Amino acid sequence: MLIVDKDLCVGCEVCVDNCAFGAITVIDGLAVVGDACTLCGACVDSCEVEALHIEGGEKSVQADLDSWSGVWVYCEFRAGLLAPVSLELLGIGRKLADARGVKLSAVLIGSDTGESAAKLIAHGADIVYRADNAALKYFTDETYGAVLTKLIQEHKPEVVLAGATAIGRSFIPGVANTLGAGLTADCTQLDIRADDGALLQTRPAFGGNIMATIVCPHSRPQMSTVRPNVMKALDTDASRSGELIDVDLEPAMLQAKVQVLESVISEHDDVNIQESDILVGGGRGLESEKGFDLIRELAKSLNGSVAASRAAVDSKWIGYPHQVGQTGKTVAPKLYIACGISGAIQHVAGMQSAETIVAINRDAEAPIFNVADFGIVGDLFEVLPKLISTIEGRQK
Amino acid sequence: MKIIVCIKQVPDAKDVRLDPETNTLAREGVQSIMNPYDQHALEEAVRLKEQLGGEVTVLSMGPPQAEEVLRQAISCGADRGVLISDRAFAGADTWATSYTLAKAVNKIGDFDLILCGKQAIDGDTAQVGPGLAIQLEIPFITCIQKVREADEKHLVMERMMDDGYDVVSVQYPVLLTVVKDLNEPRVPSLKGKMKSKKAKIEMLTAADVGADAACIGLAGSPTQVVDVFPPPPRGERAILTGNIDEQVEQLVAKLATYL
Ligand SMILES: Cc1cc2nc3c(=O)[nH]c(=O)nc-3n(C[C@H](O)[C@H](O)[C@H](O)COP(=O)(O)OP(=O)(O)OC[C@H]3O[C@@H](n4cnc5c(N)ncnc54)[C@H](O)[C@@H]3O)c2cc1C
Ligand SMILES: Cc1cc2nc3c(=O)[nH]c(=O)nc-3n(C[C@H](O)[C@H](O)[C@H](O)COP(=O)(O)OP(=O)(O)OC[C@H]3O[C@@H](n4cnc5c(N)ncnc54)[C@H](O)[C@@H]3O)c2cc1C
Repeated sequence: MLIVDKDLCVGCEVCVDNCAFGAITVIDGLAVVGDACTLCGACVDSCEVEALHIEGGEKSVQADLDSWSGVWVYCEFRAGLLAPVSLELLGIGRKLADARGVKLSAVLIGSDTGESAAKLIAHGADIVYRADNAALKYFTDETYGAVLTKLIQEHKPEVVLAGATAIGRSFIPGVANTLGAGLTADCTQLDIRADDGALLQTRPAFGGNIMATIVCPHSRPQMSTVRPNVMKALDTDASRSGELIDVDLEPAMLQAKVQVLESVISEHDDVNIQESDILVGGGRGLESEKGFDLIRELAKSLNGSVAASRAAVDSKWIGYPHQVGQTGKTVAPKLYIACGISGAIQHVAGMQSAETIVAINRDAEAPIFNVADFGIVGDLFEVLPKLISTIEGRQK
Repeated sequence: MKIIVCIKQVPDAKDVRLDPETNTLAREGVQSIMNPYDQHALEEAVRLKEQLGGEVTVLSMGPPQAEEVLRQAISCGADRGVLISDRAFAGADTWATSYTLAKAVNKIGDFDLILCGKQAIDGDTAQVGPGLAIQLEIPFITCIQKVREADEKHLVMERMMDDGYDVVSVQYPVLLTVVKDLNEPRVPSLKGKMKSKKAKIEMLTAADVGADAACIGLAGSPTQVVDVFPPPPRGERAILTGNIDEQVEQLVAKLATYL
C-alpha cells in the first residue's frame, strides 16, 4: 500500500503531477491515494520531503538468486520453419549474455527440426537444447510447456526470452506461472541494469499510450516475451561453434489433454502480418471488396503484406487475422501505409511503433495524419493506382 | 454446464492519453467499460448455456465500482456475479492476479469451463488466463476464434495462430481465452436490465477466500514497475504538397529505401 506520512506531507502536489495513473489528489493540504494506484513508485521518488513510501511489499526474496545463470531464448519452430523472431532474440540475447559474461542458450522444440540447431548456433547461440520428437509436431501448451519448464528447473538460467507470437504469448505465461517467475509481456526494449545485473524490461501498455519499465528483483528466472520485428538478428556466421544437447524426453512430458486435430496454414493471403517489414493497411475508405483489391495490389508491388482497420474487417473485405489495433494485432513494421483509415485511437494503438508511417486520406483533418511521417491528402482511387504504377515503373 | 467468465473493468481506450508535459494519464472524463474481449467470452458462455443448460457466473477482481461490469454481464445473460475486492490486492501483477482469481474460483465451487478474454486493453499482457489455468491445474487454450462442436463432455474449436489456425479438441474442465472473431455480443434485453438491477453481487475479500498475504498484491508479484513514461515522440509529420502526381513522386522518392 502507498502510505502518506501526514507529518511530512506539505501538500505540494508534485506527486500528483508524477502519477501517471491520476491516483493521487491533494485534499486539505494532504496527499490522498485512490483506487487507481498501481504501486509503481514514481511518486515515492518524486517526493522532495520523503513523505511517501510503499508498505506491505515484504516480498520473500528467493534464497538462491545467484545460482541462476545464463541467458536463454525459446526459438519457435512450426511447420518446418524457424520463426524469424527467434533469430532476432538470439541477437539481443547475445548482447545481454555478453553484458553479463554468461552463455547464450537456445531451446528448440518441435519435430523434424533438420538443420535448425546449426542455424541457431550460426546466429549466436553457444548451446542448443533440442527436443525433437514426433509427438511435438503440433504445438500444445502442455507438451511445450512441460519441456521448457523441466529444462529451466534443471539448468536455472537467469533470463528466458521468447517471441511475443501467438505461441509465445500462449505457453510462456503458463511456464512462468508454474515457476513462480515474473514475466513481462511484449517487450520492445531490454537492457541490463549496471548496478545489480537485473534485466530492465520495457514495454508499451494502455494500447501503446504509455511505456513501462519492469524488473523482477526477487526471483529467477526473469522472463519476457518480446515483440517481433523490433530486435535485430546477427548476421549468419557459419564458423561459429556451439554445443548441441538433445533433451531426454519423459513420456509424461509428451502427453496432452488438448488434442490438435489439424493445423490449417492460411494459403491465400500472408496472415502473419507481425513478421512483415512492409504493411499496407486499408480501411473503410476503400468502400468495397473490389476497392480493397487496390490494397492487395499496392502490397504486392512493395513485396509487403495486407493489414486492415476493424471497419474493413467488419465489412468482410478481409479476414480478422489482418486486423491491426487494440482488438487485433500489434505490428511494428519498417513501413506502414494507411489508406482510407481515419486513425482512431484503437487502430493507432496497433501500428504506432512502425518505423515510418504514411497516410493517404482525403480528409486533411483525419487523426491518422498526426502519427504519419508523410501524408497525402487526396482521393484513394486516384492516388493508389498512380502510386502502384510509379513503384512498378521504378522497379523495372 | 457450470461456466465462469472472468471480466475486467478497464478504462475506455479512446479516453486514455498520457499528457507529455505532466507525464500523467489524462483521467478526466475517462469512462470505465467491460474489457472488449470479455464481452465475447461472456457471449459464448451464454450461448453454451442456452444450448446445453447450466449456469454462468461472472467473476471480477477490482475496486468496488467494478460491480458495474458484473451487473452489465447479468443484463446480457449471466446468472450470478462475484466481485473479489480488497485494498490488499493493489499492485498485483499477473501472477498475483491469477492466484487471487484462482482462490475466488475455488470459493465459487465446481465448474466445467472458464472463459477469459485474450487480453485486457489496459494491462495488455494476455497472461492472466494461462496463469489462472495453471493455478487451478487445468489445461488451457488461448485465442479461440470459433467453436465448431460443443456437448456435455467436450469441445472442438479453432484457435487462431500467426499463420492460420489449429483445430483442437478437449474435454472439460478447461480454460479458454477468446478473440473477437468468435461471436457478436448481444445487447442487453429489457428483461435482462431489470434482472441486473435487482441482482445481488456477491462480495469477497482476501480473507473470505483464504488468500495467503504473501501471494497477493505487491508482495505476491514477482514483477515490479520501476518507471512509467510517454512513448518516444514521432518525428515531424509532413503533408506532401503539389498535385497528386507530384505528391506520389515525392512519396516514392522518400520511400526509396523500402523499394
Ligand atoms: C473496444 C473497441 C475496440 C476496437 N478495436 C479496433 C482495432 O483493433 N482496430 C481498428 O482498426 N479499429 C478498432 N476499433 C474501431 C475504431 O474505433 C474505428 O471505428 C475504426 O478503426 C475505423 O476504421 P476506419 O479508419 O477504416 O474507418 P473510418 O473511421 O470510417 O475512416 C475512413 C476514412 O477513410 C477516408 N476516406 C473515405 N473515402 C476516401 C477516399 N475515397 N479517399 C481517401 N480517403 C477516404 C475518410 O476520410 C476516413 O478518414 C475498435 C473500437 C472499439 C470501441
Ligand atoms: C503499465 C503496466 C504494465 C504492466 N506490465 C505487466 C507485465 O509485463 N507483467 C505482469 O505480470 N504484470 C504487468 N502489469 C500488471 C497487470 O496489468 C495486472 O496484473 C492486471 O491485474 C492483469 O493483467 P492484464 O490487465 O494484462 O490482464 P490480461 O492478462 O491481459 O487479461 C486477460 C483476461 O484475464 C481476465 N482478467 C484479467 N484481469 C482480471 C481481473 N482483475 N478480474 C477478472 N478477470 C480478469 C479477463 O478475462 C481478461 O480478458 C502491468 C501493469 C501496469 C500498470
